[in-house]
Amino acid sequence: MRSLRLFLYGIPVALLLLLAAAFVNATYLSVAKKNEMSIGTLGEPSTLNPIQQADSASSQIGGLIFNGLIKYNQDLEIVGDLATGWELSQETTFQFATEEEAKTATIPASQLNTAFNFKGEISNTEQKGKNLVITLRQPGLEVSEKIAGFFEKNDLHPLPFPALEPGGKERPFKAEPIIRFTLRDGVRWHDGAPFTSADVAFTCRAIMDEKVASPRRSDFDLVESVGTPDPKTVIVRYKKPFSPALLSWMGAILPEHLLGKLDPSKWPEAYNRKPIGTGPFKFDSWKTNEFIRLKKNPDYFLGSPWLDSIVFRVLPDPLTLQLAFQTKQVDFWDVSPWAVKSLEKDPRLDLFSVPGNRYNYIGWNLRRPMFQDLRVRQALAQAVNVAQMIKHIIYGRGVQSTGIFTPQVWFFDPSVKPLPYDPAAARKLLDEAGWKVGPDGIRVKEGKRFSFTLLANNGNEVRRDIATLVQDDLKQVGIEVKVEIYEWAVLLKRFVNKGEFDAIVMGWGLGYDFDQYGIWHSSQTHPEELNFIGYNNPEVDHLLTDLRQEYARPEIIRLAGKLQQAIYADQPYLFLFVPEETSVMWKGSYRIRRPGPSPGEWIDAPVTMTKAGWSYDLVWFYRPEYAPKQ
Amino acid sequence: MTSFLIRRLALSVVLLFIISIISFFIVTMTPGSPYPWGELNPKISAEVKANFRKKFHLDRPLHEQYTLMMKDLFTGDLRSIKDDRPVMGKIMERLPATLALNITAILISLSFGTLLGVYAARHAGRWQDMAGSFVAFLFIALPGFWVSYLVAIVLVKGFGVPILGTRSYGIVFPSGFAAGLDTLWHLLIPASILAIGGIASQSRYLRATMIGTLREDYIRTARAKGLAEETVLYKHALRNSIRPLVTGIGMLLPALISGSVIIESIFAYPGMGRLFYEAVLERDYPTIVALNFIGAALILLGNLLSDLLYAAVDPRVRLE
Repeated sequence: MRSLRLFLYGIPVALLLLLAAAFVNATYLSVAKKNEMSIGTLGEPSTLNPIQQADSASSQIGGLIFNGLIKYNQDLEIVGDLATGWELSQETTFQFATEEEAKTATIPASQLNTAFNFKGEISNTEQKGKNLVITLRQPGLEVSEKIAGFFEKNDLHPLPFPALEPGGKERPFKAEPIIRFTLRDGVRWHDGAPFTSADVAFTCRAIMDEKVASPRRSDFDLVESVGTPDPKTVIVRYKKPFSPALLSWMGAILPEHLLGKLDPSKWPEAYNRKPIGTGPFKFDSWKTNEFIRLKKNPDYFLGSPWLDSIVFRVLPDPLTLQLAFQTKQVDFWDVSPWAVKSLEKDPRLDLFSVPGNRYNYIGWNLRRPMFQDLRVRQALAQAVNVAQMIKHIIYGRGVQSTGIFTPQVWFFDPSVKPLPYDPAAARKLLDEAGWKVGPDGIRVKEGKRFSFTLLANNGNEVRRDIATLVQDDLKQVGIEVKVEIYEWAVLLKRFVNKGEFDAIVMGWGLGYDFDQYGIWHSSQTHPEELNFIGYNNPEVDHLLTDLRQEYARPEIIRLAGKLQQAIYADQPYLFLFVPEETSVMWKGSYRIRRPGPSPGEWIDAPVTMTKAGWSYDLVWFYRPEYAPKQ
Repeated sequence: MTSFLIRRLALSVVLLFIISIISFFIVTMTPGSPYPWGELNPKISAEVKANFRKKFHLDRPLHEQYTLMMKDLFTGDLRSIKDDRPVMGKIMERLPATLALNITAILISLSFGTLLGVYAARHAGRWQDMAGSFVAFLFIALPGFWVSYLVAIVLVKGFGVPILGTRSYGIVFPSGFAAGLDTLWHLLIPASILAIGGIASQSRYLRATMIGTLREDYIRTARAKGLAEETVLYKHALRNSIRPLVTGIGMLLPALISGSVIIESIFAYPGMGRLFYEAVLERDYPTIVALNFIGAALILLGNLLSDLLYAAVDPRVRLE
């Protein structure tokens, strides 16, 4: 009897005692911190194999384990990573009917340069049987087209090559851009094996392998061949000029010696959850839904990181991330605009802000007659008070968007000015377009009321608030807006993918790529394609195509500027705002000590926000209590 | 008895089949796709999407997908679309944390619930009973997420105590004992909240049967014999009131591996509930279907088990 009572009372009492002890323990836990950085990540990475993922959690962690051949520096300029240098060139091949003709066409490079008034654009010409191969200093089509024209004029007739894109035109030559990478010396994989050009060639092969199902595949579709003349050189030859291709070499390189002989179906168990890379941190352990821990790579080619380890805590939502930050279980917290104001006053915190690289917009479905008139779209843009929106929705933490690029990117055109808020001008434009105010205050044209449905997705408060403010603003100029909110997947399936909607509140965060062909080209308006508003402007189509074939930085800036102007003038979207991004850290919990310009020199600095984010140089972060001795 | 077993098992198989079909179609017909790169990604070509669909048989007609998925489920080859790992491995990985959480929660609810139930029955009709009932109904009425947030906010804002996950990170623990207590702390908080509903229902069930038992003749006889009240209560009354608990044991089986989405999410606990919830958000069909199937199988098995147990503890019940 006694034992039963002991059991019945004993367990609860023991539990309460344990709870009390554990609570006391948790409160008085020593504050001695390990030399470990803790970062909260929302959502679990699917895999740490960099060519099989495309989610941001995986990329963030993968970025520390792996290197690409090139990378962005903190000002978002392209610099070498595993490659110390790269050279662009192009081989243009003209094919003739006879060897005779080819021989006639083979004019020395210097002569050709003089003929066209080039400054050494043509570096070599060589006859190979019936072919004439001209080596150009810069990839692109312009120079080759000039040469083709020159041949025609001189009664030489190169044979046509089939077009590379469906519906494209035949050209009398084949233009093959070439990137020649020189790889860094002395780089080793985390297991000690040397990194060589074979790894680069293998990575490219693996991405193209159907069994790997790599989301990066479209980047490499145009690769003709990857040559490895020696362990330190990689020569990539492309089927046609496509300038965004250079950026694809920022993707991580995989170890051939581990994966080359392993069937991709074995990768998930053998490699994807315990990857071997070349980066500053090595993979240490992964507990699903809890954490991923990396430890420092003392043999990293730029030098050993100061931190012993980095742990990524997998947290389910922003609220848990906040709780984790408040108990110092994670060291950084990306805060929402509404919270920034109160946190700014907190002396215990360091805040860093940077203009974001995403924008919000309202897409008008241009298949709908009411949105086809440019005057109407301009009126809509002028009737909506974006400044008010920035003030009330994101608490002033952002700027008005002036088109498809954000001020963060190097090809942004600052000369594009936002359309001012001017309801009077909007009313006038609507009147001119034939939309007269009807008896119920809503404008009417040819018996049709100006009334449409604005869609937004559930769970995104910013977009919901945008819809509400737009509804109110447009009512002032006599336009009726009905707002409907759907779950994201439903929104895509029922409306966006089919292109069946009136207007929609959305946002784009597109990275730093100037190529926006998929979103704006008129060929991309089919179901499930991304030009879901049905935008079609031949001038923009040309600019998009030209931009993809342009390699020279000044030309890219010029063309991207023209593209941004052309689209903004057309107002196919109502471009709203670019929100600022803010991160918080407990005051002074980290500093940065990075190598200076001259050898042996070190620069010590507080953590700051860079264009590439606060976490740009994690290799050189250190905790002051574990300050490096150097 | 044997024919009963055979009939029940056959029925269970049919039921499981129907459940698997329904859950498969509900899951796959929900809008959304399992693409790991998000739907609107200009870097992903139609070809890459098609290749991905092919790899996971998503290009086949639904009935073929169903057959393939069931075949894979039974041969153990079922792989998650999210990370291409075997679904069974992913489930087993969650098992230790889930079992720890659920066993602790069950232990808490049984022990506190029994105590409260006996107390209420003993003082039936008096203020102690009223107070006990009030507590029980309060516990049933409190939404788990609300209590969780309240507890989380009080502990974090008020005391700055870490509560997320299964232990604290980045800290140099002074001793192994402190580290152990820290792990226990991270287990007890969610387990206690998970147990709240259980405490309430257990106490109510026990109170009801116990009041009935206390009116029985043999209790009066025991008291008349002059036995101590404690002995009467615990030896005679409690043992005879425990039958509903025995039937409840059948439900323990699914409860052991089930997860609580809300509590696991609020406390970032790596349990089965989060696995399921995230699989739903990511449209990871194989994982959802496998978890549904296992859950259904355990419930059916639990029901069968409680019927058998019922017959075992109560000779008046015969299974035919």
